[in-house]
Amino acid sequence: MNITKSVFIAMPASIILTFLYAPPAEVLGDAGRIIFYHVPLAWISVLAFVVAGFYAAVHLFSKSPRAADADMKSHVSATLGMFFAVLTTVTGSIWAKLSWGSYWNWDPRETTIMVLLLIYIAYLSLHGTLKDGEKRGRICASYLLIAAATVPFFVFIVPRLYPTLHPDPILNREASVHMDFRMRITLICTIASFTLLYLYLFGLRFRIAVLEKVRMGIER
Amino acid sequence: MGGELLRNIRKEFLIEFRNPSAVLSAFSFSGVATISVSLVTRALPLQPLVQSILLWLIIFFTAMNSLLHPFIREEDHGTAPFLRLHSSALSVLASKLVFNAVLFFSLQLIITPLAVVFFQFTLRSPFFFLVTLLCGGFAVTATVTVLSAIVARSGGRGPLFTIISFPLLLPILWMSIESTRHSLERGGFWDVRSLVFLLAFSGMIIALSFLLIRFIWLDE
Repeated sequence: MNITKSVFIAMPASIILTFLYAPPAEVLGDAGRIIFYHVPLAWISVLAFVVAGFYAAVHLFSKSPRAADADMKSHVSATLGMFFAVLTTVTGSIWAKLSWGSYWNWDPRETTIMVLLLIYIAYLSLHGTLKDGEKRGRICASYLLIAAATVPFFVFIVPRLYPTLHPDPILNREASVHMDFRMRITLICTIASFTLLYLYLFGLRFRIAVLEKVRMGIER
Repeated sequence: MGGELLRNIRKEFLIEFRNPSAVLSAFSFSGVATISVSLVTRALPLQPLVQSILLWLIIFFTAMNSLLHPFIREEDHGTAPFLRLHSSALSVLASKLVFNAVLFFSLQLIITPLAVVFFQFTLRSPFFFLVTLLCGGFAVTATVTVLSAIVARSGGRGPLFTIISFPLLLPILWMSIESTRHSLERGGFWDVRSLVFLLAFSGMIIALSFLLIRFIWLDE
């Protein structure tokens, strides 16, 4: 089964699971179902960044002819990552309002996603400033690699160094999962569905970018 | 490599002191900014956290104002192509890094005493305060130097520099502010985690800078 078919099956199935199979959260009730969208979106924001960083490294260090499109793939992934990071911030703000009474608290994890968003904005600004060509590819890829190397500090180190309002991460210090079984299954399904959605959008956006490049070549 | 590096460092200082307007502007900016901010806040009883934020904001804007210059100067004066032929990318980066570090620590020598006097800092742990300034200042210098090379090569100037620098400097500012606040609030040697973070961050950025500088600086 290809990714397109998988997405069109997995996404509706995940939506049904989040509203009909998963039980309401203990304190938040039905409003707590936003976790099944917020967590996968945050995961995709980071995954897109890792993929963009990977293709940036391939663009710089690989001599293989197959690496010719790596810069374009890196840019496509960063663009998608920016989109998912905005959605993560919005869903996170709604959840923060419901849980803690305000839309923004500068909690370490909130700060992490904000920094990620700023890095995406910076990368896209740099990409927009430079003219098309090999120099743009090299400079943007270098910036993305420098920025990508800072992400583990934000995602894994800062939230563990400073007190956070967020619940324990699923992979926590005690290596135990503090979540109802049905909620856990639903969360795993939504994360998998959103990953498929990202892969689908990545393929789609990449094909569009290739066609745009071909069209620009013809117009010149 | 060693001789080339020493020659390049010497060149950096000779060129800057032959026409010291940029360096003098940086010193003037740091002093004026510190005094201006303290004048505006003179009637307010500032908490240690606010004092730390103001100090690091002044340091941030001083870095934005002064550390971009060495790479931009090469492009503006048209000496960059000759430097690419004459010196390796590694020695160019190393010499600019040394120059920026010396310049920035000198600027901190202006900012810090003025801030201590005008903001009326109560230093409970002077040694920790100084170590924080050194570690934070070094992290800022390391990050800004490689980013200034990117900006110089992209043909952008101030606004682009601030956009691409801010997300990467944010963790440094965050940790430095926390660490400075601790040095103002408590005696002893507190919060070593922040210093470890700052040193690890600096080390990682420097390693990446040396790995990537040939892609940024050279026309391959």
